Amino acid sequence: MSTPIKNGLRSGAISSIIVIFITIINFLQVISGMLGKLLGSDTTGMIPIINLIIILFIIGFFSGLSSAKEREPDTWRAALLSGLYTGLFAGVILFVFSLVIGAVAAKGIDLRSYLSFFAPQTIQQYMFNLEVIDLELAALVPGVVLTGAVYHLALQVAATVIGSIFVRGFVRGEWRKNLMISLSQSTMVTTGGSGLKQFLNNRYTKYGFFIILFVLLIVLPRVWGSYWNYIMGTVGIYVLLGLGLNIIVGLSGQLVLGYVAFFAIGAYSFALLTAPVPHNLLWNFWPAVGAAIFLAAVAGLLLGLPILNLRGDYLAIVTLGFGEIIRNLIRSDLLTPLTLGPRGVREIAQPTLFGNPFSSDIDFMYLIIVAVLILIYITYRIQNSRTGRAWLSIKDDETVARASGVNVYKYKLLALSLGAAFAGLGGAIFASRNLFTGPEDHILMVSINVLCLIIVGGMGSIPGVILGAFALKGIPEMLRDFEIYRMLAFGALLVVMMIVRPEGLWPTGRPKLEKYKGEDEPELQTLDNPSESEGA
Amino acid sequence: MSTILETRNLSKFFGGLIAVNSVDLSVPEQAIASIIGPNGAGKTTLFNCTSGFYTPEKGEVLFQDTPIQGQSTDTIATLGIARTYQNIRLFSNMTAIENIIVGQHPRLRTSWFDAVIISKRFRNEESSVIEEGRRLLKYVGLEGLGDHLARNLPYGAQRRLEIARALANQPKLLLLDEPTAGMNPNETEEMTKFIKRLRDDLGITILLIEHDMHVVMDISDQITVLDYGTKIAEGAPKEIQSNPKVIEAYLGPGAAVLSEKYRRKK
Repeated sequence: MSTPIKNGLRSGAISSIIVIFITIINFLQVISGMLGKLLGSDTTGMIPIINLIIILFIIGFFSGLSSAKEREPDTWRAALLSGLYTGLFAGVILFVFSLVIGAVAAKGIDLRSYLSFFAPQTIQQYMFNLEVIDLELAALVPGVVLTGAVYHLALQVAATVIGSIFVRGFVRGEWRKNLMISLSQSTMVTTGGSGLKQFLNNRYTKYGFFIILFVLLIVLPRVWGSYWNYIMGTVGIYVLLGLGLNIIVGLSGQLVLGYVAFFAIGAYSFALLTAPVPHNLLWNFWPAVGAAIFLAAVAGLLLGLPILNLRGDYLAIVTLGFGEIIRNLIRSDLLTPLTLGPRGVREIAQPTLFGNPFSSDIDFMYLIIVAVLILIYITYRIQNSRTGRAWLSIKDDETVARASGVNVYKYKLLALSLGAAFAGLGGAIFASRNLFTGPEDHILMVSINVLCLIIVGGMGSIPGVILGAFALKGIPEMLRDFEIYRMLAFGALLVVMMIVRPEGLWPTGRPKLEKYKGEDEPELQTLDNPSESEGA
Repeated sequence: MSTILETRNLSKFFGGLIAVNSVDLSVPEQAIASIIGPNGAGKTTLFNCTSGFYTPEKGEVLFQDTPIQGQSTDTIATLGIARTYQNIRLFSNMTAIENIIVGQHPRLRTSWFDAVIISKRFRNEESSVIEEGRRLLKYVGLEGLGDHLARNLPYGAQRRLEIARALANQPKLLLLDEPTAGMNPNETEEMTKFIKRLRDDLGITILLIEHDMHVVMDISDQITVLDYGTKIAEGAPKEIQSNPKVIEAYLGPGAAVLSEKYRRKK
């Protein structure tokens, strides 16, 4: 079988399966509706077919793209053939699918009993709003079904061929290569170079960027309203947690799955010290935050002692247990007099500033921003110091790190207690912001989410943590329009991201230490070697 | 010359297997000593007992007349024993110069808190650490490769980087586990010269495991031969070459007689 046919079969099968799948869960209509909203058209009633055509075209375009790229015979003919076969194959499958659902609908079988979203209206939508079913005769109009099917075939072929032309003409052309080089360079800490890279590395560009960021951080909480303050506050708290777990997992390489325990200890110690019930201690906000951080750090240290010799999977399981133990202890009958058990703690203290209340949603946003900035600073300073390098060496090869004179136990404990302290701060702010904390705030999912955001962002990378928190906590909020498809869209995004950027959104580069500052750097050979950035 | 490393009656067992059996070894200061022996003779186990990876079941390891057996690896490293590995073990996701900087770890004093408040001590130490890294890179001939990730370096460069990392701690004793494994004759020759230079320039004592007999005979002051965990011979290269026990260990029983005949014929 020749290569274009093979590619065509593969890409065509994938794209037709995607189309069929999103059709039967009625997702096609939902995204067509979203698109309508974006384009500003009326979304009530039937969705204009132009939206549907655009969506189908995009899917076809990308399958054409994927079929025609990285081909061995690097010719126009092979690329076009790949695109053509993809379109034909996908088109034929959709053609058959059209006929089948048309026939089923004509028989009067209501598919909703099997596929609850697959309404007759969906079928009609899928058939480009053609009157497939004659309502008076209550029967299929074969000619119309055929027309719809042919439309699908034609649309697929057109889209994939255009996709393949695009990939052959532009994507594999020179300018894309140049763009990729400048993009990949901009993410590294380098000096000198050309064009975009030089611009991005210019000191004044950096200052300008920081000033803009700073102004945004001050202005945005005031202008975007309490809804966004709430969402971004949640993202911010996850950034705090992410920075802490990043020290434990990303820098020192200990896969701790019970991170939520430190979050819970921070939140609960803060809550119990400040709430009127059950202990009536009524501490002020700031000393209580300090105590929460301290207690979490001590918890990190205490957890660290028994697990010092565990690595990898074993460590993950043990710490997983620790997270659950803390949550169950909090809600247990035994500790109910101390923690109020499953009811949770209410009326937790709000922050004050010089005696004035500092607890509006805007104030909280500022508080979180300041906390995030402080923790970023601390992490940034540590990760490029003796301590940070010791952590990285332990992560890479613990045995050799030890043989190089690194006191592995000490540095592991330090990582755990620092990471736990960060979580303690996050927990205190979280409890104070919600005025409440209960055992259900500290479930396993929190640990998993924080771990996910580190992986999505890029292990050991500070910007990665921020991007990851936005991706994992911000995007689901922004996807509210998708309603029931929210998690589907989110999952798909994650899968796509892990395929496109397996090393994370913003992976770390290592600092350049050998070259003196300001020295010119004539080494581009690292970029000709693409394996550099991927794992070996 | 005084003895820098001495093992007395050193034994290490793995279950029923006797990996090292009552080995007495003494390495004079500033010598290049080699340990040879067939595969599985217990050479690397002896190394691991010396550098603290294993705790020996019996016997003593004396480093500068202080017993060190059973102490943790990082303590032993801090005392001044550095080592390399048979299969290269670098910190592969760190740059070459960072590997060397980690090697300097036991000599440094700053804590994480110094880094956060950017104390004077931190700034001084950081710049001197980087300077030392650059110097060592140059010394092992890796100048200009310092900012590459260790895993992306060519094989020979990785071997040299491993030695540079070991040197960063300014060790008194350097244990090299098959430093020329997998190298072509040119690289081997270079490495041999390099090891000699290490001893002559820096006055470090070197104990190495090696299979390449040309290298061993060329650079060693003293050779120890192990077979089945037992020391069967020790002495200068000349003596070892003609020792019938050694020949038998390598070539099988009876080989010594044959080689004697062969020599007479010649």
